[in-house]
Amino acid sequence: MITFERVTKRYPGGTIAVSELDLEIPTGQTTVLVGPSGCGKTTTLRMINRLIDPTSGRILLDGTDVQRTNPAQLRRGIGYVIQQAGLFPHRTVQDNIATVPMLTGWTKQKARARARELMDLVGLDAQMARRYPHQLSGGQQQRVGVARALAADPPVLLMDEPFSAVDPIVRATLQDELLRLQGELHKTVVLVTHDIEEAIKVGDQVAIFRPGGHLVQVDSPKRLLAVPADGYVEDFLGFDRGIRRLSFLPASSLDLDASALAGQQTSATAALAQARRAGAAWLLVIDAERLPLGWVTVSQLEAAPGETTLADVPLTSGHGHTFAVDTDSLRAALDATVLSSTGQAVGVDGDGRVVGLTSYDRLRAAIQQADEDARAEEVARGVGAAPDVGAAPAVEGAATS
Amino acid sequence: MSWAFSNASLLAHLTGQNAYLALVPVLVGLAVSLPLGVLCARFGWLYPPVLGLISVLYALPGLALFVVLIAYTGLSDTTVMIPMGVYSLAAIFPSVVDGLRSVPEPVRQAAVAMGFGTWRRLVMVELPIAVPVVIAGLRVAAVSSISLVSVGGLIGIGGLGYLFIDGEQRNFTTEIVVGIILIIILSLVTDTVLVLLRRVLTPWQRGRGRISRRADIRAELAARPAGM
Amino acid sequence: MSFFSFAWQWLSLAHHWSGSNGVPARLIEHLEYTVLAMAIASVIALPAGVLMGHTGRGGFTLVSIANVWRSLPTLGLLVLAFISSGGASWAWLIPLVVLAIPPIMVTTYEGVLGVDADLKDAAAGMGMTSRQVLFKVEVPVALPLILLGLRTAAIQVVATATIAAYISLGGFGRYIIDGLATNNYQLVAAGAACVVVLALVVQFFFAGLGRLIVSAGLRQQARQS
Repeated sequence: MITFERVTKRYPGGTIAVSELDLEIPTGQTTVLVGPSGCGKTTTLRMINRLIDPTSGRILLDGTDVQRTNPAQLRRGIGYVIQQAGLFPHRTVQDNIATVPMLTGWTKQKARARARELMDLVGLDAQMARRYPHQLSGGQQQRVGVARALAADPPVLLMDEPFSAVDPIVRATLQDELLRLQGELHKTVVLVTHDIEEAIKVGDQVAIFRPGGHLVQVDSPKRLLAVPADGYVEDFLGFDRGIRRLSFLPASSLDLDASALAGQQTSATAALAQARRAGAAWLLVIDAERLPLGWVTVSQLEAAPGETTLADVPLTSGHGHTFAVDTDSLRAALDATVLSSTGQAVGVDGDGRVVGLTSYDRLRAAIQQADEDARAEEVARGVGAAPDVGAAPAVEGAATS
Repeated sequence: MSWAFSNASLLAHLTGQNAYLALVPVLVGLAVSLPLGVLCARFGWLYPPVLGLISVLYALPGLALFVVLIAYTGLSDTTVMIPMGVYSLAAIFPSVVDGLRSVPEPVRQAAVAMGFGTWRRLVMVELPIAVPVVIAGLRVAAVSSISLVSVGGLIGIGGLGYLFIDGEQRNFTTEIVVGIILIIILSLVTDTVLVLLRRVLTPWQRGRGRISRRADIRAELAARPAGM
Repeated sequence: MSFFSFAWQWLSLAHHWSGSNGVPARLIEHLEYTVLAMAIASVIALPAGVLMGHTGRGGFTLVSIANVWRSLPTLGLLVLAFISSGGASWAWLIPLVVLAIPPIMVTTYEGVLGVDADLKDAAAGMGMTSRQVLFKVEVPVALPLILLGLRTAAIQVVATATIAAYISLGGFGRYIIDGLATNNYQLVAAGAACVVVLALVVQFFFAGLGRLIVSAGLRQQARQS
């Protein structure tokens, strides 16, 4: 656990980089510090490993004031990753990674073996071990940087805009890698970025800063999107935060409709009757394994001779995009629904078998339920007025457009 | 060049003496430049005054310096070697500072953040990276030194410079030309050795000659000591 | 006794300050040689360096030239010129010029080449012809380095001229060479002292010139970097 107690950093010219900061960074989770330039997030980060010392206030690492610890000792127990990696150009990849272990007295063999372990962990080909940094791509260099930071297995990992210098595709890959690593290692990660999307994607907890070094809000990404503290945060979050919030609501909360499903062996007449009962304009045809095949319209069923089975009725369209009920979010379900030619998306299980159908109405119901749950939670937490969630109107708009 | 062959042992002796008078001071210059350069790289405000002082000394003609020193060290090897040392310092010291400054900031920061103490960082990270630039300065110092030593012939301590004095007195062109050629060869050999040394010390530079070439050009600007 | 007392003993005598072997006369001689050699060398080296820097060609040749130049022994060249020309009175001029050319050319080349590409781009974008870009942008911006090259060459020439006394040239070197030949250390010391002062004056001259000619904006920029 890293604790900031009323930490201020003032520079000789009068600039205040960090102002009266109180912040708790929980162990084993990823905390993201985010904000525009000049908001003090990088300064805050660098006070943890004493690259910068505070003007006033304390920073506690697991209860001990970092000011009382010898800087070099402190830093060997904290991993540090920066934007341009800062790899030593005069050392091979494996020797770069092995730097801190060798610094703390490991033998060269042991350190290099550990380096190779880490290369595997961060997804680097073992062949790269003897190469020099300038022979690697930007993305590869960043991986080496992360491996190097993790080499001595520090409990804390600090990352200063680690993915800003690579292109968007590589960035997304690296962010996924970070999430995967965290899933395995559960380090206390403090990451600085100016990109709110990155913060929401990788953070367990997001701290938003305002220029002048003021902390405005600290919350989980989900709560942040649901209940921004003020206009500044709302602006910072961006214009479609309502929809982005849906990424944090599970698709399993949807009440799916199984009544408009019909097997291939169903006769056209029976299918028609089923459709009329369900009040549906479309039926989803599924096979014996419950895998989705496609849609048929009621008018097609009316036109078909009574004894034909659905297997012989030509499909109007394919089943369209599906979403995984157990693992996807409401946002994925919404996206699939918007893309669907019938205004209904197909929810499937882990094997691709149809569970049921969703519609705009069902989505709206699920969202409203989530809103009520969130409101109840806020009240239970003792937070004041009813939050303006805003997500519901956005979905209405989508349904009519 | 039958004259050359028949006097081979003299030439060898003079070449050896030239090398000794020139290169020992270069090593001394290196030994002084390293700590001085480290200090000035660390405490930036020191650099301009120190550099200024050294530049002034460096602008003084070699013959004049030799002559000044006669009053203190007589007509000995030291009289020639001290000015060589000063000139070497003038070429190598800025290279040390330049080299240390050429360490990319992210690399330096990463080293600090990883818990390298100041001295370890210097020795294990910054100086190794500074090697190409420092060697560029060494090359300038060594080559200049070798040719400058010959001026010492005017006070009788000049290695291959002896050939110029003797050649002039005997009106013997060949001897002079041989002297010039031998000095050039000695310089070339020394320069090559240093380039090889650089390649050995910086395996990470192979196939990336740009930095070394830039360093060489920068050292060129350090120019030649005025004593010639 | 210290160097200074020796020098002082000779310099404090009034009659050493007049006549053809007096300090003023020798000073003028020394300056004449320096200015002449510098003028000739500049006429050759400045345009060459500027042109090469402007076109970007010839860099490798120049670095090689600079390398060779640094290894050329001045005394050797002077003596060679003197003997080969049969003792001509102008023999000294050739080595002086030859040794002054490389620093001027190389540094000028570097200076012009090193002008920020963005600057040249902006100038061309404003409609300047290649020649205008050269004279209105590249040369002014390269001026500090050009002056540095000239300064290096000047110091070089002053020092070579001193040695040239060995092949019968005048100037302050005369004192040193004559003093060495006659074992008159006072004379030698006086000559060395004069040369040292002259070298320092040349240094300061160029520093002052820099302040005059080089635009203030450039000087500040250099100080910041």
